[in-house]
Amino acid sequence: MQPFEYMRPDDAAGAVALVAEYPGAQFLAGGTTELDLMLKDGVIEPERLVDITRLPLRGIARDGDVLRVGALTTMEELAADATVRGRLPFVHEALLAGASTQLRNMATIGGNLLQRTRCRYFRDAAVAACNKRAPGSGCAAVRGAARMHAILGASERCIALHASDLCVPLVALDAVVRIQGADGERSVPLTDFYIPAAADPSAENVLAHSDLITAVDLPLPPVAAHSGYLKVRDRVSYEFALTSAAVALRTEGATIAEARVALGGVGTIPWRAREAEQALTGAPVSLATFRAAAEAAIRDPFTVPGTAFKVELAKRTVVRMLRTLAPVPS
Amino acid sequence: MSVTEQRALLGAGIDRVDGPVKVTGAAPYPSDVRYPDMAHAALVGSTVAAGRVSQIDSAAARAQPGVLMVITHENAPTLRPGAAPPFAGPTPPALQDDRVHHYGQYVAVVVANTPQQAASAARLVSVSYEPDEPLLAIDDARGELLRDPWGFDSQRGDVAAGMAAAEVRLEARFTTSENTNNPLGLFSTVAAWDGDTVIVHDVTQFTSNVQASIAKAFELPESAVRVIVPYVGGGFGAGLRVWPHTLLTVLAARLLRRPVKTVLTRPQMFTGVGHRANTVQTVKLGAMRDGELTAIDHESLQTVAVNDDNVEPVASGSASSYACANASTRDLQRRLNIPVPGSMRAPGEAQGNFALECALDELSYELGIDPLQLRLRNYAEVQPASGLPWSSKAQRECFAVGAERFGWFGRNPEVGSMQERGWRVGYGLAGAAYGWWQARTEARVTVYGDGSAFVRSAATDIGTGTYTVMKQLSAELLGLELRQVRFDLGDSDMPYSTQSGGSGLTGALGNAINVACNGLIEKLLALVADDDDSPLQGCSLEDVVARDGGIYRREHGGGAGSDAGEGYGEILARHGVADLTVDGESVPPDPGQTGMALTGAFGAKFVEVRVDPDLGLLRVARVTSVIDGGRILNEKLARSQILGATVGGIGQAIFEETVTDPGTGRIANATFGDYLVAVNADVPELDVVFVGEPDRNTPIGTKGIGEVGLVGTAAAIANAVYHATGKRLRSLPITLDQLM
Repeated sequence: MQPFEYMRPDDAAGAVALVAEYPGAQFLAGGTTELDLMLKDGVIEPERLVDITRLPLRGIARDGDVLRVGALTTMEELAADATVRGRLPFVHEALLAGASTQLRNMATIGGNLLQRTRCRYFRDAAVAACNKRAPGSGCAAVRGAARMHAILGASERCIALHASDLCVPLVALDAVVRIQGADGERSVPLTDFYIPAAADPSAENVLAHSDLITAVDLPLPPVAAHSGYLKVRDRVSYEFALTSAAVALRTEGATIAEARVALGGVGTIPWRAREAEQALTGAPVSLATFRAAAEAAIRDPFTVPGTAFKVELAKRTVVRMLRTLAPVPS
Repeated sequence: MSVTEQRALLGAGIDRVDGPVKVTGAAPYPSDVRYPDMAHAALVGSTVAAGRVSQIDSAAARAQPGVLMVITHENAPTLRPGAAPPFAGPTPPALQDDRVHHYGQYVAVVVANTPQQAASAARLVSVSYEPDEPLLAIDDARGELLRDPWGFDSQRGDVAAGMAAAEVRLEARFTTSENTNNPLGLFSTVAAWDGDTVIVHDVTQFTSNVQASIAKAFELPESAVRVIVPYVGGGFGAGLRVWPHTLLTVLAARLLRRPVKTVLTRPQMFTGVGHRANTVQTVKLGAMRDGELTAIDHESLQTVAVNDDNVEPVASGSASSYACANASTRDLQRRLNIPVPGSMRAPGEAQGNFALECALDELSYELGIDPLQLRLRNYAEVQPASGLPWSSKAQRECFAVGAERFGWFGRNPEVGSMQERGWRVGYGLAGAAYGWWQARTEARVTVYGDGSAFVRSAATDIGTGTYTVMKQLSAELLGLELRQVRFDLGDSDMPYSTQSGGSGLTGALGNAINVACNGLIEKLLALVADDDDSPLQGCSLEDVVARDGGIYRREHGGGAGSDAGEGYGEILARHGVADLTVDGESVPPDPGQTGMALTGAFGAKFVEVRVDPDLGLLRVARVTSVIDGGRILNEKLARSQILGATVGGIGQAIFEETVTDPGTGRIANATFGDYLVAVNADVPELDVVFVGEPDRNTPIGTKGIGEVGLVGTAAAIANAVYHATGKRLRSLPITLDQLM
């Protein structure tokens, strides 16, 4: 850990200014990613930490069919929200499937969106080849021991997984990220927020250096009321997903009227599977439809020996989640 | 043994005496120790697995604020090798030359005023290497192959003839992965010199060996070295060695002339304090149609470091597991550029039992015989290798009681036949044993004028309950109440103790305390031999019992209220003695004299699993463990030992795998986020029950139960998975990609 400057401003504009004026500055919220990377792994060395935990960005407010979630709302607070429970079951389930109670009480929603990959090649400064840490240096994970790595949005250059559970239903939901930057406020759909590693391993998202997430807007579409999140992992609790699926489904009789599908555990970004949604919409509720949707969800995966099993596992995860929401005979 | 008859305080599940200080955070672990003016060290690990250090530039690190010293092989003074513990060689001292033997090997020590300064500066030490191609794979023929490395290979009868005579033959290959001990407490050392003597607070399971090693390494008399560890923070075998960080901390403190503390990082815990070696094993079995085994052949190849040794017999346990006239076991080791393997809970048996008990399960299906019946059909009534009677064995009872409690015979033996709510259900079992081990140990007992007693030994309590059971045992042996006895340990200034490991300490220390307490009573009887005022005049040890705070004549019935005896305080006061101290020493029994085999613990494991074949999910639904551990000193703590070991067994079976990067030898998952151990949600209701009698080999009658609870867990799980799915998985850990 290198020595750093610590500041704790009172308002968002001030926080943005403190980061904007200094290239070595970073925001600090719940700290569950930032402090690990600084103190334990030593792969980031900010020279200034701007602590935003005192900013008035915490809380959940309903405005018609939108739930505005302050960036400093904790995962545990959002999971306990009655509207989330009732109208967005897959968000509620994804929150509780993530981390542990202790971490969820510290970790913020804004921070969850910005969590860094768990790739141990990224998180170990002794590994020279990491295009995410050191652009152009290569990717050690591709030839290393990969398991918790991505197969979608990945390439020879980077297979680092975006490990968030929460973001999987949020991309399915078309959540919107509200951002305060040095030049004012703007909004970006979460589906446009992330940059796949295959495009640029080091970019991660569209935020500029001093951009601050102030809130995330969660729409409350009727389809989301019938939704679920299935997380598949080696142990029952306290582990990132090998594969996961967030699905919302509205049926009319024996036909699927509307579907939302997103995948976790497989993408360098939270993976919205629009092809699967297209395969489902208007199709009969059947195992064949579900399997076709799963096939459509995983197109052109990039696998290495340790991740090859995820192609089939992810498809089965989608099918299982669909069957849970719309039971069909085997 | 007159004084070991009463057992009022033993067996009962009293709470652990160190519980309150542990749960309130008051227990001082070595990492909690602080000295005024204490400096902090951070270790720099090699980032290549083989070769030599061509250049070290520490100028940038030295220039950092607070940095006091950087030690490398270029400026380190000569250190001698330390002492060898029972199951390994002496740890090679670090920083003695430019050679690199494994990834993470320490190449520099940075000492600074604060731990943050040291860690920060350590990242600035620039090391250049001339790397060699590392040997990393167990099947890499370029790595030196050691055959029968410890002389434990065994041969009886004629295995070839037994195989030829068999009506059914089976051959199967098994692999087990590297596991890392991962005690929660990070290994830590604090060294404080005073002239030519040094106090070392060290995470260790074996204070006396740390003392001897530091004395040897620094060419000091042992009397100049004191090692203190009242609370360990967990070990699981990692604390049985003296690791390089301990010697380097002592060295830094000597060079700096200030106390120095080192706390390893979690990744360093994967490269610096041992791990369970991976294995490739082949088991061949021959049997008659009625289940009689005609041949057992078990060969194991495991990995070992290029620059260190590890005694870990994997195959040899199979020689004494079942009655079979023809048996051959062979252990081999391959030297590789890997971090030094060492003991990890149930070393050897954790791997070897998995192979043998899975192979037996396969054989049972080949024969169409119930797996439990097959084991009973080949039950070893005597020690198969020596032919000597066991000093105690209740494994038949383990199987019988376990089958009853678990409901074994309620299973449908047909593979894949049991289902519940979409999950496949499987039952599996395994026999378990852990070989006997013990070593010389001493204890000292002092009785005071008020009748209270202080008992101590340089042993350690690694969380197993040594503080508690030795206090109970001492009180029992002296006829005192618990509150009248203090028991202490964890200080090499106390009488010599062997390691807390190999399931050997409870027996070794318990018997030493027994000798010491008997000796104390004999000394008191000698004191009153000419004492006309003593009702004990003329008594010998056989004539008395210890109870009610003193010594009482046996022929008066020894019941409460008998006045034919007197308290310890009365005897001491009348003879003008302030206090009386006696040492006791236990030595391992000799089968040549006892005519009995040295006999460790036995067990049986019954497991139910649930498998979701579509997603590959595997859940352990319940485990019944029945254990013959000889005399159980404290059933509550003994149960905790079996519970914890079973959890470790679940980890070995389905989660734990230390992954090495193929090209570099780096550990790819050296954090608690990436190396999976079982969490609470993975652990079902665990049923534990003890059977059997006190072991006849020693007066205390314990057999040691630290390891046996892990043994058999992985095999029973794998066997249950087969029963559920028809998939015979012979490679640990069993993960969902193998099951989907």
